[in-house]
Amino acid sequence: MPKHIVRLLLLIATFGVVAIGAKLYFTDKSFGVYGHYRADSVAEIAAAAPIYRGAAYCQACHHERFTQWSAGIHKVVTCETCHGAAGKHPDGKPPVPSDARTHNLIASARYDQFELSIPADTVKLCTLCHEKMPGRPAVQRQIEISQHAGTQPCTICHNPHSPKITVAAVSKTAMAGDVAAGREKAARCAACHGAEGVSGNPAWPSLAGQQPVYLVSALQAYRTGARRDPVMTDQAKGLSEADANDLAAYYARLSCQTAASARPVPEVAAGKAKASVCASCHGAGGISRNPAWPNLAGQQEGYLVSALKAYRAGARKDAMMAGLVKDLSDTDIRQLAAHYAGASCK
Amino acid sequence: MNKHKSSRRRFMRLIASTFVYAGMAISATGLLGRRGAAAARQLSPAPGYDWTKHRWGFGVDATRCIGCLRCVEACKTENGVARDAHHFRTWVERYVYLEGEKKPRVDSQQDPGNIAASGSEKEYRFDNRYQDAKVEKAFFVPKLCNQCENPPCVQVCPVGATFRTPDGVVLIDHDYCIGCQYCVQACPYGVRLFNHAHGVTDKCTWCYHRITRGLQPACVEVCPTGARIFGDQNDPESPISKFIRENRVRVLKPEMGTSPNVFYVGLDKEVM
Repeated sequence: MPKHIVRLLLLIATFGVVAIGAKLYFTDKSFGVYGHYRADSVAEIAAAAPIYRGAAYCQACHHERFTQWSAGIHKVVTCETCHGAAGKHPDGKPPVPSDARTHNLIASARYDQFELSIPADTVKLCTLCHEKMPGRPAVQRQIEISQHAGTQPCTICHNPHSPKITVAAVSKTAMAGDVAAGREKAARCAACHGAEGVSGNPAWPSLAGQQPVYLVSALQAYRTGARRDPVMTDQAKGLSEADANDLAAYYARLSCQTAASARPVPEVAAGKAKASVCASCHGAGGISRNPAWPNLAGQQEGYLVSALKAYRAGARKDAMMAGLVKDLSDTDIRQLAAHYAGASCK
Repeated sequence: MNKHKSSRRRFMRLIASTFVYAGMAISATGLLGRRGAAAARQLSPAPGYDWTKHRWGFGVDATRCIGCLRCVEACKTENGVARDAHHFRTWVERYVYLEGEKKPRVDSQQDPGNIAASGSEKEYRFDNRYQDAKVEKAFFVPKLCNQCENPPCVQVCPVGATFRTPDGVVLIDHDYCIGCQYCVQACPYGVRLFNHAHGVTDKCTWCYHRITRGLQPACVEVCPTGARIFGDQNDPESPISKFIRENRVRVLKPEMGTSPNVFYVGLDKEVM
């Protein structure tokens, strides 16, 4: 064979040996086991630890919240959707593997990217889902932000873990009470609450013109013991549900009277400024929009003060009120009471 | 004269036999790959998980999506995707038909207006630009990797860095990927993205590390309206099997021949 041919063939053969040798040497051992890919990568991908843990993981420590949440309408929104992924919460981050291969770098970097938090800007968070927007199906509860509550935090009225605000179930029956029967039964209430439902004592609330559903639920609270008062507890025990409905219907129709405030005008003005938060439930002028939430306008000042203090101390329990009043000072309470007592109740 | 002729013949015979023996040698090494199918039947990649027993499927109910983008956020957290709006494994498109217009206006979370509305590069939100407009029809469509039965991305990968598992998920081996992005080009749905930080391609894996543990993908976990459905198509009582049975479903771009495994309800003529 001519020499140049031999050399050419040797060159080709050397190239072939080097190529095949390199392929065998550099190809990962697990390549080709399952198919044309590196088999070990499947196990590596599957080995990454999940970062979202699910609501059941939160339940272990946060059982009260979990119970509240799972019974409410927000049970379709998992804890981590609003609070952030749990990851290794409450433990720290896992160690970073020393092997700096791409897959490990990506997998371990995940743990740097999240943190659990109690959302601060609720308007921003809640409106992600609840802002009225073309394209959102009608079954999704949506609000026009400016017309709903403006810039007020959503949590003022809504418990984020069970946000549905329900009017008390008594509403239908309370609205349909017998006024005449109520007038008769109200005779014994007059001693404290006034003959026409306008109380003469700052410590006892006026009932004239009060929201009927609120009155019924108040009587019910005294009856069940949810609310305690040395006089009212006994009084309420003697009243049936029908009695309560009749009384509520009677008092709701009475004409209220504004109790003048003895406080100086600057106090009243300060109270008015602070009352803007209260307006979303109790109405702009203290006349509430919902039969379950009481009117405040024209109410006895002393009663308003003691009510707010009772909510603040936890002696009177209401989820919404508790959150709202917990940071009120005595001065705030005094001013708010002064404002509402002097507000026109017509 | 004779000498030349016979040496040419000898040469031709030599070449021919070289090809024959070389061919035999090469196919001998190729036999290593043929272990594949048999091996898959016996071995399992993750402990306690048998990938021959599952056939994963995904459903999207576009009539329920409210465009809250919690899925986009959850996916990024779960999978370490770059936080800016232009890198994503899953996304949501908004289609709005204004009165008098024949074509819809389409945007997603990476539209600059939406990025501005979200407040930061790491947050995602659809702005409300159509709130005062006369909207005839509008809806949201979430999208993600279709984990095709016949994936073009797997076909074009030059190094075998992307592949389809027997349980129906197309995965990427980040250590083998050379970052040529041929697969990004090949995907007809645009679900593959490039991870600039590491120079490799990335895509939705249906949270393979979660589904092999019996969990759901992160996007399905956080969706508040049930627009995303996931399950095992081998189990007739799984959410996805019921979804396919109880709804008129269709896939995206069926004409591409990819046989996707994400089934949609509530699409419109303009949704590609």
